[in-house]
Amino acid sequence: MSVTLSRCLCRVLSRQTAPSSFLLGEHRHTVQSPWFAPVMTLKTSAPLRAEPKKKKKVDPRREQMLRERMRKKLKKLEKVPPELIPIEDLITPAKCLDETRERSPPRLSFEESEGRALLLKEWCRYKQEQHIAEVEAVELALEAQREALEELKLESEELYQSALKPDPLLFPFTHEGPAYTPPKTKYEAPDGKYNNITKVYTQ
Amino acid sequence: MAAPCRRMAARSLFHFLSFSRTAGGNSGFRQFSSTSVHRATLQTKSVTEKASSPWTLMAAVCLQRLPVISADCGPIERKFRDMMLQLELEKSLLSDHELRLLEDAERMSRKQADDYDSDEEDERGDQEIVLAQDLEDSWEQKLKSFQPALRVTADADKDLTSLERCLADSLLLVAEQQVGGEKLWLLPQTQWQEGETLRQTAERALASLPAAGFKATFLGNAPCGVYKYKLPKAARTESSVGTKVFFFKAILSDSGPPAAPNAPFLWVKKDELQRYLKPAYMMKVDRFILNL
Repeated sequence: MSVTLSRCLCRVLSRQTAPSSFLLGEHRHTVQSPWFAPVMTLKTSAPLRAEPKKKKKVDPRREQMLRERMRKKLKKLEKVPPELIPIEDLITPAKCLDETRERSPPRLSFEESEGRALLLKEWCRYKQEQHIAEVEAVELALEAQREALEELKLESEELYQSALKPDPLLFPFTHEGPAYTPPKTKYEAPDGKYNNITKVYTQ
Repeated sequence: MAAPCRRMAARSLFHFLSFSRTAGGNSGFRQFSSTSVHRATLQTKSVTEKASSPWTLMAAVCLQRLPVISADCGPIERKFRDMMLQLELEKSLLSDHELRLLEDAERMSRKQADDYDSDEEDERGDQEIVLAQDLEDSWEQKLKSFQPALRVTADADKDLTSLERCLADSLLLVAEQQVGGEKLWLLPQTQWQEGETLRQTAERALASLPAAGFKATFLGNAPCGVYKYKLPKAARTESSVGTKVFFFKAILSDSGPPAAPNAPFLWVKKDELQRYLKPAYMMKVDRFILNL
């Protein structure tokens, strides 16, 4: 019991001395006052340690100048115009310029080439007739509408004005166009997966 | 006799003023004075008009079902299409698939040659060589296993009340309605009521068809055609000389539940219209129905 007591005392004492040495700096030797340093220790006198650093007033300005020069260099570099995004449709892919892919040109008989030329002329005439018929039909329809609006005007100005107003709910107007076969009732379309490999360019 | 004269004078004055106003151009003061005079006549005219317009107004709807499948090609169109396909094939380059076919054919011919050395071939390891021809065959099999719906069904074509007839043409809705004592086939119409625009009347005409759940998109507020007829002299009175029917175009968006077989309306093509409509009516209606 006396041994443990003495041990405790020692520990308490060591604890008490430890903080005081810690407060006075990293040196183990407990210095009573900062102005009386023992001879063997490093001369870290208070004035030396406590001396403030000479602040060169030129320094912040120098740093600012450096930073400005860096910024100007960056701006010069950034002034380069951005690279144009290539239009992929206008670039012929290298595959198409491959010579091994060319077909042998066909040899047409005279009758066949004549037949083709005549068919082209017939087609031209047919399409022209179609176009003229279309234009006439549209003109007739416009004439019918003009007549209708005239009659409406004769009837009542109010109805005429409300007829002339545009319909804001009409557009956007979508309608599924004709396909080759009509839609199947109760058709379950199979689920499809696809990987989108379009190239996205950023400027 | 005084009343019609006054009305006619007012109408002619109105016409003159409206003509002068539109032809006036940019002459500021003169235009201003003419419009003030015009407004005064307009007020008197509208009062007289509302009191005694001899025409009854009706609105009709021209409902069209647009084609569902593409039309068949005519003879010249077929010939031209074949020629174009041939030309395009001749002017094109060989595709990847065709190159593969050629390579396979070459390899087969080399294998069958007498001096065949398999070591000369490129190393393929243990991969199975899938011939391009096999791929083609498998694709054809897949296509055959899909059965598309028939383009033309003869039975549906003859049934005039069904919407599935003549999928390649645009169809028009024609209804049988009571008009002044007799039942006529015409585009569905009703009479205009005070306080609504003519387009609303046309929408009402469509909705009031018996047993029909059609959903349509009306194309604009303006009428596309007009048909006016005067009542026979015996039926004419001061207040009703005749009727003006204004037509509004609409496109069918949803047919709704199938109609009862005895419903009094038909879906007809433009060429079949002649059988059902009266000749004078047909002449006016013919103009704005485009069969493009």
